Amino acid sequence: MDKLIRLIKIWTLWELFQGLGVTGRNLFKKKFTLNYPEEKAPQSPRFRGLHALRRYENGEERCIGCKLCEAICPAMAITIEVAPRDEDSPESKGEVNGAGKSHNYGNRRTTKYDIDLFKCIFCGYCEEACPVEAIVETRIYEYHFEKRGENIMSKEDLLKIGDSEESQLATDLEVDGRFR
Amino acid sequence: MESSAEQNIVNIEINDISLQVEPGQMLIEVADANGVAIPRFCYHKKLSTSANCRMCLVEVEKAPKMLPACATQVMNGMKVWTKSPKAIAAQKSVMEFLLINHPLDCPVCDQGGECDLQDIAMGYGGDQTRYQERRRIVKDKDYGALVSTEMSRCIHCTRCVRFGEEVGGIAEIGGTGRGDHMEIGTYVQKSLSSELSGNIIDLCPVGALLSKPFLYSARAWELQSYLSIAPHDAVGSNIKIQTRNGKIMRVVPADNEEVNESWISDRDRFSYLGANESRVTSPMVRNSSGNLVETNWQAALDTVIKSFTEIIATDGGSAVGAIASPSSSVEEFYLLQKFMRGLGSNNIDFRLQQQDFSAGAEQSAPKLELSLQEIETQNSIFIIGSDIQREQPLLSHRVRKATLAGAVVSTINPKTIEFNFAISTSVKTDKLTPALAGVAKELLSRGLGGDLNLEQLLTDGAVNIAVEAEHKEIADSLVNGENSMVLLGALAYRDQNQSRIYSLATAISKMSNSSLNIVTEGANALGGVLAGAVPYHSAGKVEVSECGVDVAEMISNPPKGVVLFGVEADKDLAGDDSAIDSLGSGFVVAITPFMDRLTYEHADVVLPLAGFGESSGTFVNAEGRWQSFSGAVKPLGEARPGWKILRVLGSSAELQGFELDSSEQVLNEVKALCDVTADKSEPEISNWSAPTDLGNIEAEMVKPIPLYEVDAVVRRSAPLQEQAKKLTGGVDDV
Ligand code: SF4
Ligand code: FES
Repeated sequence: MDKLIRLIKIWTLWELFQGLGVTGRNLFKKKFTLNYPEEKAPQSPRFRGLHALRRYENGEERCIGCKLCEAICPAMAITIEVAPRDEDSPESKGEVNGAGKSHNYGNRRTTKYDIDLFKCIFCGYCEEACPVEAIVETRIYEYHFEKRGENIMSKEDLLKIGDSEESQLATDLEVDGRFR
Repeated sequence: MESSAEQNIVNIEINDISLQVEPGQMLIEVADANGVAIPRFCYHKKLSTSANCRMCLVEVEKAPKMLPACATQVMNGMKVWTKSPKAIAAQKSVMEFLLINHPLDCPVCDQGGECDLQDIAMGYGGDQTRYQERRRIVKDKDYGALVSTEMSRCIHCTRCVRFGEEVGGIAEIGGTGRGDHMEIGTYVQKSLSSELSGNIIDLCPVGALLSKPFLYSARAWELQSYLSIAPHDAVGSNIKIQTRNGKIMRVVPADNEEVNESWISDRDRFSYLGANESRVTSPMVRNSSGNLVETNWQAALDTVIKSFTEIIATDGGSAVGAIASPSSSVEEFYLLQKFMRGLGSNNIDFRLQQQDFSAGAEQSAPKLELSLQEIETQNSIFIIGSDIQREQPLLSHRVRKATLAGAVVSTINPKTIEFNFAISTSVKTDKLTPALAGVAKELLSRGLGGDLNLEQLLTDGAVNIAVEAEHKEIADSLVNGENSMVLLGALAYRDQNQSRIYSLATAISKMSNSSLNIVTEGANALGGVLAGAVPYHSAGKVEVSECGVDVAEMISNPPKGVVLFGVEADKDLAGDDSAIDSLGSGFVVAITPFMDRLTYEHADVVLPLAGFGESSGTFVNAEGRWQSFSGAVKPLGEARPGWKILRVLGSSAELQGFELDSSEQVLNEVKALCDVTADKSEPEISNWSAPTDLGNIEAEMVKPIPLYEVDAVVRRSAPLQEQAKKLTGGVDDV
């Protein structure tokens, strides 16, 4: 009996038509292929792209060098050096926020903040560990390196990204803030 | 409970586990000894109990309220629960109270990661605050160059206060105000002056007191710890050198009840900051135009060997000599003397500050007859020529503990020296010998002279020795004390009359049946003698056929070729500049970590030596305790550990016995020669004979070396120097 059914299926090209049926259905469906780079996929506010370091409104960098991101990073991609910074130094912009502020010893600030993008696995733990929302991951995912060494993002690079992305970052954090 | 009849056993139950413990202990001690964790802030095993943080509350059967484990003595039949719902509830509410005013600034606080409050809050703290009011803010205090303060973080455990009173010996820190207005600070606004002040950094359970030089430079979890031995005094404090990325970040104490308990001196703690100042990082040779130029190791070593062989060929082995730092390791001392003796010279010495060498080989090694712990049990202590508090801070702490237990201390010291413990009799004088002779004469007149043959010297001799009332008192206290000790310090050691002083002190200790304890200079003076780095004998006290010359002789009559090993000649050596400069007249090989004036101006070859924490080695502390340590970081630049340099020097000079591959191998060789049992050298009985005269009885005592001037590393530590300036500057910036 089974044999007979199989023979009929073979001779009527049943399975071929079954397959073509799927093709036919999808042929007239709405397409979701994007014409990248002209078109881009929508992004969640939690998108984890290139990193950035943020500043406060008065221009003072947020990062206080607590090294929690360095400690939590599973890929050990972050390297931080910290030193006290004089409150009167040119980098101390305007009113300091009080974090790490001490009249006797200056502020706790990083002197070096490097992320190795070759190591980074974009897990977003650094962002979660950060007590002051300084290190964040932006929506930027289009970048490339041409030379060895460019994969290491320095503090200046990260701050620059933060400056240009600030409005987006602020809105995203605002949206996501409800769930934290 | 049958055993309770035996008075000295108490049966208690902690968390339903029955334990038999000694009476008189506090619950927390029993719990600690048996691995039961009780949270605490104010309790510290080395300080008195104040029971003011209340974090250690536990439930005790039949007690109406929770009891603080740190202030509750064990009693027979006691049943204790440390984790019952009631106990936990109590601990949680205490935690909530403590956190009311503690700022939530862990991310910027250096204590983060090693903070008691942080750790315990993880276990007992709530995750929400119910406190809506304003937190209190406390103004920071200025404690000087070593300790930074962030007083809003203080939880008033008073550990620092108790440390000041009980260990530091100066009640500098205290609490003023009450309740919410309580503030911890110095009573008068000034820097801390205790030489042990750094310990409050470790004691403070929160980040209120932190190390100022270490501030914001590393996190506790990034540091690697290496056990080591502090190289600045003869106590041999156990330390942990903590490094990050191959750099020394800080030094903290390692517990060793027998040596340094839980403390280290500020000198040991902050000296690392000078370890990399003005370092020599590559071998250098002086060229024909008189400038030091960098070269490679091979060339530098060849120059040394060539010049030394030339000198020896024309003038014989005794034309070369070596001066080593008293803080060199046993291995270095041993190989240096082996090298010199291999070249045919016995001119080797490390006793940089000694002026009188007339005792020669008869003088026994500088050693404490007692162990450091035994010092605490003495009833009568006689300190001769020693600023012990500054020379050996942790030995002095033992003396202080003895005084707190009722010991009487008498001193013969210059006027300027003051101590943080009570002194019953003090002879303030500039001349050590007559005062000491007075005490000896008094003891003699009591018929204690025995067969010491001192009559000739003290009573019938040419000089008339006056016995003052104080001398009698000292004699009284020594004779009456059940355990009495004589302690000779650096001022006695550096005196022009040293040999007479040592003889008299020995006689005094014999007559009064006291122990004789000697501390001199550096971290390893005893090791130096044992390893044979003296002109009279080689390692293991094997006498040499022809005595070499001592360091004073080498300075006044410089050898044609001289090796300076770890010595900063213009600061470490006794004698004036011009005398020391004359050392430079010959061929000078400076094996040194630091560039200093003499090296710069006169050295012909400079070999970079590994500095603090960079090499392995062994120190023999004043008690005779052999303590080995390994390197914590790589030597800077081209620098090499001393034992390696000397080994290569030895084999390039084609001497026998330099085929050594590790510092352990060197150490084993020395130990075999020195007859060391259980890493402890026993005191030796020296042949004593009465001195025939008292030398220059009018000789003035030398000035003590300031606390932070003792060696090249300490002198280069900027924070220590700043602190020294603050303390001596008179005006304190408020
Ligand atoms: S400063 Fe630190 S050690 Fe001193 S009372 Fe406050 S918390 Fe305790
Ligand atoms: S540890 Fe017992 S009250 Fe503080």
